[in-house]
Amino acid sequence: MKGVKKRFRLSTVLYLLKEGTKNIWNNRSMSLASIGVLVSCLLLTGAATLISLNVKDVVKSIGDKNIVYVYLNDDVSKLEAIALGQEIKKVPNISECVFFSKDDAIKQYQESLGEIFNEMTGKSNPLPNAYHISITDLSKYKETVSKLQAINGVNKISNRSDVAEKLTKLDRLVTSAGVWIIIILGLISLFIISNTIRMTMYARRFEISIMKSVGATDLFVRIPFVIEGMVMGLISGVISSLALMFLYDGIMAAVNNIVSFKWISFSSVYGAVLVIFIIAGILIGAAGGFISIGKYLKKEGGEILGW
Amino acid sequence: MIEFNNVSKIYQSGTHALKNINIKIDDGEFVFIVGSSGAGKSTFLKLIMHEETPTSGDIIINDISLADLKRKDVPYLRRMMGIVFQDFRLIDKMTVYENVAFAMRCIGAHPAMIKKRVQYILKLVGLSDKMKSRPSELSGGEQQRVSLARALVNNPSIIIADEPTGNIDPEMSYEILDLLSEINKHGTTVIIVTHEQELVTVFGKRIVEIKDGCVLSDTSLNRAVELDDVDDFFFG
Repeated sequence: MKGVKKRFRLSTVLYLLKEGTKNIWNNRSMSLASIGVLVSCLLLTGAATLISLNVKDVVKSIGDKNIVYVYLNDDVSKLEAIALGQEIKKVPNISECVFFSKDDAIKQYQESLGEIFNEMTGKSNPLPNAYHISITDLSKYKETVSKLQAINGVNKISNRSDVAEKLTKLDRLVTSAGVWIIIILGLISLFIISNTIRMTMYARRFEISIMKSVGATDLFVRIPFVIEGMVMGLISGVISSLALMFLYDGIMAAVNNIVSFKWISFSSVYGAVLVIFIIAGILIGAAGGFISIGKYLKKEGGEILGW
Repeated sequence: MIEFNNVSKIYQSGTHALKNINIKIDDGEFVFIVGSSGAGKSTFLKLIMHEETPTSGDIIINDISLADLKRKDVPYLRRMMGIVFQDFRLIDKMTVYENVAFAMRCIGAHPAMIKKRVQYILKLVGLSDKMKSRPSELSGGEQQRVSLARALVNNPSIIIADEPTGNIDPEMSYEILDLLSEINKHGTTVIIVTHEQELVTVFGKRIVEIKDGCVLSDTSLNRAVELDDVDDFFFG
């Protein structure tokens, strides 16, 4: 409509902020239920993420220990072997490459198996020179091994592709399970918070009908409910991050009493958890408020009141 | 100005609420829309407020054709109107002052303006001393005056009252209609929907009678109403 001022004043914005926050207190039992559900969902999501991170960490540490042995041909001298090392290092997907000479290898056998190997030193040493290699991405194990195999002077490679495959599968499973848990719990939270706000709205349908009859815009009617959802999300984010910290530390201490396990320290991720929980809470709350009022805005007069 | 041009309304249920209605209400007019229950009066109001859209025909309000009105512009159309409901529709958790101020807040009025205007309007309807009261603490007539104050506070060009005397006693009815008459004298168009036909005749204003969705009669009595007639009707 032409010639109509459609901007919000600062005083109106402040009024709407106040109304949204006041709604939480006025409908405190429903708000409490909503916050409780959102906290539970965030807590479960956080717990699932931390479990996933811990499993990934374990998988990574196993992967790091997954050393591949690259045996060189017998006719390759120590000097030539060092030059070959430079070529091996150029192969992509290799995080570490340590030379393990035939002398070092026999020494290791002597230390662990005793005198039987004492004769096998110098020219009598039957062991080849080798490189101990760590692979960065285990999913590219086979590809990396075939590249190493192609290097002139390389005789044999210890093939542990079955272990690499299992670790890769476990890593993928943990990642996708984590993502699905986050999506499902996120949707549950959204559903519950939008229903709670819908109940708040039902309780306030009388005010909404008056608002519409005096010419309040859809945005004006909607904002307090969106703010209500956002504030509930913010509160839930803070509570759930604190609760997760206590829960995680408690479980960590209890498990460590039974079996020693290297956990990711919560203090190292707390900042990220707090920020992510607050943002997730606010977004879920805002979306819940936005979605739930939509149906009411399309209604008119007596329809809003259910007449 | 409000114009209904060949307006018909058929609800999804099949009810033919209005049939080819042609009405023109000029700026500053005082009109009673009368008819029995189910005659089509409420549909007539809903169409003006754009809560319903006509099945056919066109409605023009203050040079705006409602057929061309976008959804986002409906609130701005409603700001031209002040609505008085039969059941008052006051929010009991708010005081009288807050109920009236609420209407101004909804359209984003400045706080200083709200304070000044609400006090003025409450004085106009004779409720200055009840500002801090809750609606439930007031009589029916006083509640209707709060409802009227809320309708007036945004300075609309049209006041629409839906059965404003339906829930109050005759003495209070007179006060409300008298107040609406005073408001009309200042140039505001007043449309009152009522089924109390006897009540409207003593006021000597234009009466549009609706029956079975059709305009049965449209009369401007144009007679000087004797004060005694009004007194006789309301106070016996």
